[in-house]
Amino acid sequence: MTAADMLYLAPLLCLVAGGLAIMLVDAFAPKGPNAQRAELATLTTVVLVAAAGLSVALWMKGSTRGPEWITSYLATDRVALFFDVVICGGTAFAVLLAGGYLREHEMERGEFYPLVLFSAFGAIVLARSTDMLTVFIGLETMSLGVYSLVAFRRTSPRSAEGALKYFLLGSFAAAILLFGAALLYGATGHTDLAGIGAAVKSGHADTRLTVIGLLLLLVGLAFKVSAVPFHQWTPDAYEGAITPVTAFMSVAVKTAAFAVLLRVLVVAFSDPLTASVSTGWPAVFAALAALTMVVGNLAAAVQTSVKRMLAYSSIAHAGYILVAFVALPSQGESAVTAVLFYLAAYTVSNALAFGSLILIGSRGREAVSYDDLAGIGRRNPLVALPFILGMLSLMGFPPTAGFFAKYYVFSVAVQAGGGMVWLAVLGVLSSVIGAYYYLRVVVFMFMKEPKEGQTIAVPMKSGYVVIALILSAYFVLRMGLAPGAYLEWALEAAKRLV
Amino acid sequence: MELGLGHFIGLASLLFGIGAVGFLVRRNLLIQLMSIELMLNAVNLTLIAINRWMPGNHAGQVFAFFNIAIAAAGAAVGLAIVISVFRLKKSVQSDSVDLLKH
Repeated sequence: MTAADMLYLAPLLCLVAGGLAIMLVDAFAPKGPNAQRAELATLTTVVLVAAAGLSVALWMKGSTRGPEWITSYLATDRVALFFDVVICGGTAFAVLLAGGYLREHEMERGEFYPLVLFSAFGAIVLARSTDMLTVFIGLETMSLGVYSLVAFRRTSPRSAEGALKYFLLGSFAAAILLFGAALLYGATGHTDLAGIGAAVKSGHADTRLTVIGLLLLLVGLAFKVSAVPFHQWTPDAYEGAITPVTAFMSVAVKTAAFAVLLRVLVVAFSDPLTASVSTGWPAVFAALAALTMVVGNLAAAVQTSVKRMLAYSSIAHAGYILVAFVALPSQGESAVTAVLFYLAAYTVSNALAFGSLILIGSRGREAVSYDDLAGIGRRNPLVALPFILGMLSLMGFPPTAGFFAKYYVFSVAVQAGGGMVWLAVLGVLSSVIGAYYYLRVVVFMFMKEPKEGQTIAVPMKSGYVVIALILSAYFVLRMGLAPGAYLEWALEAAKRLV
Repeated sequence: MELGLGHFIGLASLLFGIGAVGFLVRRNLLIQLMSIELMLNAVNLTLIAINRWMPGNHAGQVFAFFNIAIAAAGAAVGLAIVISVFRLKKSVQSDSVDLLKH
């Protein structure tokens, strides 16, 4: 254990040190109505960008093989670094949005930013974990922060309710996941993913315990990625939370959950028996993916609240990503690439969508339902523009990031052939439902007038939100117009994992 | 009769099942929290029993220690959320929170 070894953990250490420093800054910052507020959002963004920069530097350095005392618990490979950057980036968008939102709605309290940083730390630990122990520690570090963030608006019954439902179901799911991990330990004698994988492959593992353990583990993780039928908490938690927190949950938390799912399946359960397309976990995932796409899209189509629609849309997107998981055993590398690219594209598209929703509301007149959006496109075309781009990208319209993300996922499924083709067809069909509710936002913004007596949403003014929107719009277009470079990075990361 | 690993896993599964059923059927938030604790302790029992039969590097015992610490942190956040619900609703029944619906 040397100082040079610690370099591999630099992004994580940066987040923790930054979080602690910001707690101190907040404690000593002048308080009171007329005091100059500390720009904690700027500081937090700097910390996140620094952490992402450290990950990029580690990527450029060449060899990513870390010392064994780290890699037996936390991966240092390129997939880990890729997820570091996506999670830090998604969190940075959420923090910028919070910088504008909290001030506008007068609930700026310093604890928000350290909580976000510690949650992002947990998310990165989760995405990097190579041992059941770190899976659980990362999961809880991330989740405990997010539970508190959902409850952040203490006076709002909706916020408390969303937090309560999220906490109860989240802890229940964590307990199930943990029991699964314990049974896998019993079956194989290992808690590290590689050890579990080796034992399962050699046939020394107790088959019955392995199957039950794997099933419980997958149920726990399906809760976290909000796959149907384990999705009930998602719309409530997303709607109850303040919008920047919803954005954080839908990008960083979801990315981390998918990252750990990917690593668990590829490292520990890639042997021919458990990864058999007809009887192994891919069959379970095919059913999950089909259900999640159909139910997510249908439920999103009937919502009256845009925020809740975006929650169901995030469920539907989880379904699309799960399609690529079904193709993992047969397509390997390209399936992993599709998942990585999708998560990156989804992060920027969602940041754009939630950012636009935040921008449209102002103090006391927060935009939540479709009716709140009525006519805003004609009154303030500039405000409506990022929203349109975000909707098009989530819909999968070319040339946006969302189009290529969907394209790669479905083409991996088609290449896998056999029963996978119908899954891709189902995915395309359910995206058509998606087009209905995403375009409905545009219709309300441009073709409806506010009803009489309705409070009219007035856009807020905030440099933070504008910066977040410009950056996310840039990446949405960039990943749509020139996806090559991003795809190459994803592929380079995927090569080392499979 | 000699006690084997199977007995311990059977007992832990029973405890886990009681916790899970308790979580699903009870409507008092505090009882639901206790049910979750029961499930986590069933996991700890499993881990420690397995560790007894497969000592190896004592991963099971280490795991159980981490679980205990994290469960405590989880209970702190959970109780804080329950208190915040109680302040707003004057009730700790999970039926009382019904604002957010489809």
